[in-house]
Amino acid sequence: MSPSLANRLRIGFAIGFAILTAMAVIGVGRFIQQRQDFEDSIASSYQVEMAARARLAEGQGSAKDRAIVHRQGRHRTELRDQISGDTQDTALLVAAGLIAGLTGALLLFSGLISSMRRPLEQLVDAAGRLAAGDRSARVEIGGLAETAALGAAFNEMADELEREASQRDQLDRLKDEFVLTASHELRSPLTSVQGFAELLMLERDSLTPRQVETVEIILENCRHLVRLLNDLLDLARSDAGRLAIVPRPTDLAPLIEETVRTMRGQTDADRQTVTVRIEPDLPQISGEADRVRQILVNLLTNAHDYSPEGASIDVSARAVGAEVEIAVSDDGPGIPESQLQQIFERFVRGDAGLTQRVGGTGLGLAIAKSLVELHGGTIGVESTPGQGSTFRFRLPVAAAGADPGQTIAEAR
Amino acid sequence: MPRILVADDSETILLLMRTRLELAGYEVETASDGQEVTDRIHAGAPDQHPDLLLLDAMMPRKSGIEAVRELRAAGVETPVLIVSAHQNAADADAPTELEVSGFVTKPIDFDRLLSEIAELTR
Repeated sequence: MSPSLANRLRIGFAIGFAILTAMAVIGVGRFIQQRQDFEDSIASSYQVEMAARARLAEGQGSAKDRAIVHRQGRHRTELRDQISGDTQDTALLVAAGLIAGLTGALLLFSGLISSMRRPLEQLVDAAGRLAAGDRSARVEIGGLAETAALGAAFNEMADELEREASQRDQLDRLKDEFVLTASHELRSPLTSVQGFAELLMLERDSLTPRQVETVEIILENCRHLVRLLNDLLDLARSDAGRLAIVPRPTDLAPLIEETVRTMRGQTDADRQTVTVRIEPDLPQISGEADRVRQILVNLLTNAHDYSPEGASIDVSARAVGAEVEIAVSDDGPGIPESQLQQIFERFVRGDAGLTQRVGGTGLGLAIAKSLVELHGGTIGVESTPGQGSTFRFRLPVAAAGADPGQTIAEAR
Repeated sequence: MPRILVADDSETILLLMRTRLELAGYEVETASDGQEVTDRIHAGAPDQHPDLLLLDAMMPRKSGIEAVRELRAAGVETPVLIVSAHQNAADADAPTELEVSGFVTKPIDFDRLLSEIAELTR
């Protein structure tokens, strides 16, 4: 059992008090005793001298009496010298006792302070490391009872946090593995369904219009399932820290033009106009072309899916400091304030998307966000209900002479 | 008429592959795992080897990837396409130095697959 701070203080005070009191009592007692002895000696010396003088005055005195008078005078001078020396010694003794007591008290307190300082410093340090995510941060238990109890409580809390975190990690791993396995296992039957439906369509001339329509519905749903599986796979990889990019200096202009072109089929079908505005002399960005294209496709698909027929979609790119900002705007119904916060979370979809189309998976923006962040960029949205939405993301400009093609794995 | 040996542990996939490939004018043989593929190739003289192998990456007994490695070690140079649920060699846990002509992702885009096969069997 460690000594407690309160007990130490109590014992320290008791010892200090006892020493000081004893010193005072001894000192004063000695002083009084010495004084008493001195008075007595002086008085008896006078008596002897007086007796001798009386004999001399009466003419009965002898040479011996004269010697007594002389000796007693000398003796008293000696006594006075001695008493002043003794008083000085006593005063020195008391002073030494006081100094010793105060020094003891000082040593006691500085000992107490230093025995508390180390555990407290350790605690501050460990708490800082724990807050910064170091789950193994612990303190040595020791010193005073109070700091030991504090240390033990801290370690217990850290153990509990570590247990919970490792359980959570394990659950996350199981979930990631499950999604990865499921999305792979689903591909084989999906291959069969889609493959045989396509086989039927190869002989569409011998099918009735109703049968053709039926097969088209099967195929459309197969494509939707594939999109969903691919998106889920990307997210699971991103969660598992397995999504990696190889950033290279990349020209955005051709990439944007090409992506918009591949989307033409869908936007033209709804008579939507897509305008592209790219700042001249736009610097190259540092990114993986396929992944940047995927971000753009997801944002453009969103703009297309959530905007009515005949809507305008605007894609722009401009340099902002050491980044390039790409914005995709639409004049669709916009996103209500209440949904704006969660719009990048998986399976969160604007109301319009649920009612108007079945195209999206509800994962596009979540994937766009994790891809942008994997590039070291940022993404955000502004929206005015009834007037439209603007999604903006920023990617870092490629550093001149940068080492191209270094893989960046997602930090967990 | 080019001959293609298709291996997959799913009867349904084999039926689908056979139908699509035969419609496109290829002669199709099937096997249900990698062991059957290597046995059949080792049994035949080099001039009797198929023109192309279309192997599923994951099969019981012997996977498509193990089969390719074994055939390449035995000096068989027949072109191989690996069918996998994964999108590339890295994801399929296949060694990057594996000598294959390409990876085919499930669900299979047959238009793309047929043009790749036409290229490899020309």
